[in-house]
Amino acid sequence: MDKKYIASLLGILILIAIFFSVTFYIYPNQIYQQSNLVPIPILDVTLSSNEIQNGESFVLDVVSKNTGDIADIQIVSIAFPRLDDTLDAVKIKNYDFTQSPHYVKIGDEIGAKYSGGKETILAQYPSIEAYSRPVPSGTVNIISVQITPPEPGIFDVYVKSIGIPHFTDASHYPQEGILDHQSELVEVYSVTVKP
Amino acid sequence: MTSFGILLVTVGGSWDITNHLLNKPETFFSPPHALLYIGVAIALIGTIVSFFTWRIISDKQNFKSSILISLLGMALLIGAGPFDFVWHSNFGLDGLLSPPHLTLITGMLLTAIGSLVGIFKFIKEKNDSRFNYLSVLAVLPIWLSASGLFHSGSLPFSNTEFFNFNPDPTFAVLFASVAFPFLVSFCLLLSSAVSKYQFGVLSVTGFLFLVVSSFTAILPNSAILFTIPFYFLSLIPIISADLLLRFVNHHKQSVLFVGGILGASFLAIYFPLTTFTYNEILTQQTVWPSLIPQVYFEMITDVFLITLIPAVVMGIVGVIFAKRVCNKILAS
Repeated sequence: MDKKYIASLLGILILIAIFFSVTFYIYPNQIYQQSNLVPIPILDVTLSSNEIQNGESFVLDVVSKNTGDIADIQIVSIAFPRLDDTLDAVKIKNYDFTQSPHYVKIGDEIGAKYSGGKETILAQYPSIEAYSRPVPSGTVNIISVQITPPEPGIFDVYVKSIGIPHFTDASHYPQEGILDHQSELVEVYSVTVKP
Repeated sequence: MTSFGILLVTVGGSWDITNHLLNKPETFFSPPHALLYIGVAIALIGTIVSFFTWRIISDKQNFKSSILISLLGMALLIGAGPFDFVWHSNFGLDGLLSPPHLTLITGMLLTAIGSLVGIFKFIKEKNDSRFNYLSVLAVLPIWLSASGLFHSGSLPFSNTEFFNFNPDPTFAVLFASVAFPFLVSFCLLLSSAVSKYQFGVLSVTGFLFLVVSSFTAILPNSAILFTIPFYFLSLIPIISADLLLRFVNHHKQSVLFVGGILGASFLAIYFPLTTFTYNEILTQQTVWPSLIPQVYFEMITDVFLITLIPAVVMGIVGVIFAKRVCNKILAS
């Protein structure tokens, strides 16, 4: 065998050795040290009225934005702790999330503690989950719901948003507030329903 | 034309897997499905043209098997469309492995095999190196169809509201570790063997497979775009294999060596989807689409070492099988 032939073979073998080293050892170590993506959801919530007569309706508008890295899923949850097991009192007026909103009934198994579904609880009150997937940075979505409280009194609505993957507190909104049945923070919006 | 149609079907199918992963489409009518069924229409026209051409040629016997296999595949492909629509209508979002999808993939594979037999015989009959690159068009649809079939048997994407067709995780890992290395070396050597190992044919086949995979499995997921340069590193073993076959004049030992190299490269060639298969056993994390690179690169060194021997062996089996299949088609 001539020297040129052997040199060519050797060159190919070295190239293959470099491929396997880079692909399965050097590159993985570099990538693995990179930090995870952090989606940062924020909400802007408005109520059409803070006070209504019994039998009247009010409208809740929610504008959600992802101000962080791309999210695989961004969920906006609007929950109704004063409603029983039906959502007859709630009507979605419009939404532009990429997925159809999901109605959660009392007793449904839902995720908890920002675990992405690894930890679950049974829902204690109904809610609506609007969500898009995926959600690039800067994406804005809206959902508008019309609510007719069934009886006089203070009618509370819990609103929150979660970006997935969720590795840090920055990936949920709000950062402060009360904990709901999923042990996740919510903002409370109240409407007084006069008799 | 039939092969090109099936190529579009496989591209649509691969895109559909990623679309399900990223967007959870809620209806049957989605862009990947549109591409898929445009491909079916083109393949159907190709098969009809082939059939009527075959009826008027003198050498009917030579192309009979090609036509019969293609017709059977097309019948399954056409039947899979309404079957899939009815399935979606009754059971909503379906998984990767479902009866209509299995019918579709089997139809794709059979039609692609029928086309390959015809194209290989055509290349032999012409005996002109200008036609050798047709083997790329013959092999690519088979490679992509069989990849879809093997992914169906190894990815955990088939647990739906009504049915759980997910493979057992241990079976999935074992299956993927032997099936994919075999497929890589089988398809690449098959494309090269029919062209009498003309340099470039194997490389172009491999390059186009990487292009299709990156367009359908990486590009739609903007969070993993940065992995494209990594993904195309797989061209190194592919071109090296092509060079080796040329330098050592496709001597038996060198062909086996090429099989081993190609088999051992399967983990890189089948990025990113194999992440989900091996994660089921090795790290058991929730693999959100944006986390694919982190999970893949966390476990890939271990997976490579664990699968190296079976991958090399199956790569060698793949090239031996490819040579036999090629010889049999050309001899018949």
